[in-house]
Amino acid sequence: MTSFAETEATLAIAADDADRADRRLGLYLTLPAQILVLFIAVFPLLMQLYISLTSWSPLSGRGWWDAWTLWNNFANYLNLAVDARWWSALLRTLLVMAICVPAEFLLGLALAILFMDNFRGKRVFYSILLMPMMVVPAVAGYMFFMLFQSGGPVNNIASAISGHNVAIAWLSNPSLAFIAVAVADIWQWTPLMFLILLAGLLGVPDDQLKAATLLGANWWQRFVTIMLPRMRAIIVIALAIRLIENFKIFDTLYIMTAGGPGTATETISVFIYKLTTNDLSWGYVAAIALVVLISLSVALGIAIARQTKRREAAS
Amino acid sequence: MRRPIAFEVFRYAAIALAVAITLVPIAWMTSMAFKPTAEWQATGANLTWWPKSPTLDNFRFIFGQSSTALIVALERTAAKPILSSLLSAGFGTLIAMGAGTAAAYGLSRFKAGGNLPLALLQLRLFPPMAVMIPVMVMWTFLKLNDTWFGLALIYGIVTLPFAFWLMKTFFDDFPREIEEAALVEGCSRFRVFLKVTLPMMAAPLASSALFVFILNWSDYLIALLLTNREWATIPVYMASLSSSMTGQLYGAKAALGLIAAVPPVIAGIAIQRHLVRGLTFGALKQ
Repeated sequence: MTSFAETEATLAIAADDADRADRRLGLYLTLPAQILVLFIAVFPLLMQLYISLTSWSPLSGRGWWDAWTLWNNFANYLNLAVDARWWSALLRTLLVMAICVPAEFLLGLALAILFMDNFRGKRVFYSILLMPMMVVPAVAGYMFFMLFQSGGPVNNIASAISGHNVAIAWLSNPSLAFIAVAVADIWQWTPLMFLILLAGLLGVPDDQLKAATLLGANWWQRFVTIMLPRMRAIIVIALAIRLIENFKIFDTLYIMTAGGPGTATETISVFIYKLTTNDLSWGYVAAIALVVLISLSVALGIAIARQTKRREAAS
Repeated sequence: MRRPIAFEVFRYAAIALAVAITLVPIAWMTSMAFKPTAEWQATGANLTWWPKSPTLDNFRFIFGQSSTALIVALERTAAKPILSSLLSAGFGTLIAMGAGTAAAYGLSRFKAGGNLPLALLQLRLFPPMAVMIPVMVMWTFLKLNDTWFGLALIYGIVTLPFAFWLMKTFFDDFPREIEEAALVEGCSRFRVFLKVTLPMMAAPLASSALFVFILNWSDYLIALLLTNREWATIPVYMASLSSSMTGQLYGAKAALGLIAAVPPVIAGIAIQRHLVRGLTFGALKQ
């Protein structure tokens, strides 16, 4: 018969073994993901840095490893700083964000409020309203490309309403093309805001709302003092997701206008894409891409740090 | 809570408007897809919202039947691009879900993985356009350019963050007591994962996989850069549906667009319950 102490000792050893085995298993399980991330992150970034210091291009007739022979004394970065086309693409991207994201947020919030309690047909309407975000963005681009043709349905509806023959060339007018692109983005992504904000609204505890009602608070007071503060985190998440995704805007926009007319709707992704495929100046593209990546990483770092600080302050 | 009648009227009016705006572009494309050539070429006052003589000609055309009205025949049919989209999105989903599920379990149970979650989040933050130069160089070097598996590999990496975060929240919710019971029975940790946890997670696994598939299926930019002739995916191929003689082949484009749009919409409605979780990286569970 083993003594109590012995049993405890064997148990401890067994637990230790199990611990080590667990840790090993955890390592093995995360390994494939780690390798994939390394494959796409570390090595490519080093290659990108290397190429960005040269004027290498796939047409230069040498392998990328020989790019050092085309070393150009940081010319890519210096050129970027004074490249007007880059700065206007950046501004335009920010402008698209400033128009689309608030519009999507407000429309999504309004719809979410309408869907807060039960009514006839709620489930069907809900499913229909979510459809745009599941449509392949490139296909959505073609849809709006067709809609905004000068002989297309948008003008047709406008003609019917106004009584005059409307034949606006939406996509070949710089500011109208911009509006058309924004409309397509808002059409496709308002549902995402709606979906997330509705989940947030439904998560607000019922008893608090009831208590406020009993105390005589009207709907607007309940909305401002209880619902909005309760939804704070969710609103931040929804806005962050859309800001990040909107910054990358490419598919719908490229199919509708290809960045045109001229460069009127050229955002950062379109700008980089054109340099990559038309100009083939890959050294320059690598430099731009690195600047974008570093800026975004810094922004993410600051955002996370602020968020953690706020959480610490709250707890 | 009783609502005044006026509110109900306003609500239905507002929702009807939203539904109409939502459906117009989709309805227009659907209508175009079934219109004969003369009707989809019509402009201005001659537009018809409903096809007067609905036909499947546009679908037949993209699958290779020549059209008498157009006097053009397609050099390539839509069959291979559809296959390419299916293969690359399907295998991409397999890669993302395989690596993502394993890593999520490792992190959820053993706190393994170190900086992996943050690295994955960052991966999602980056515009794909900003990492494509090295990928294009590597893919040329590895002879992965213009192949469906080259595309599948990059899709797997790009959607890995979604697969990982979704599965992590599902594993976090999974009751450990069940696993511990199996451990006491003498199963190894890994066997418990394979034989107990995964089978019980079949439904969340399926929803996550559908979610990741929709994302992969929706890609345009990456396929545009990494494929050209042989394995162009549906959206890339779609651009070729125009000719110098007749201009844009709207009917054919609408037909193919409809084919591309249907699978994700059905899948999306099927996993509606988990959409919030997926889109917010599991930060929000509905």
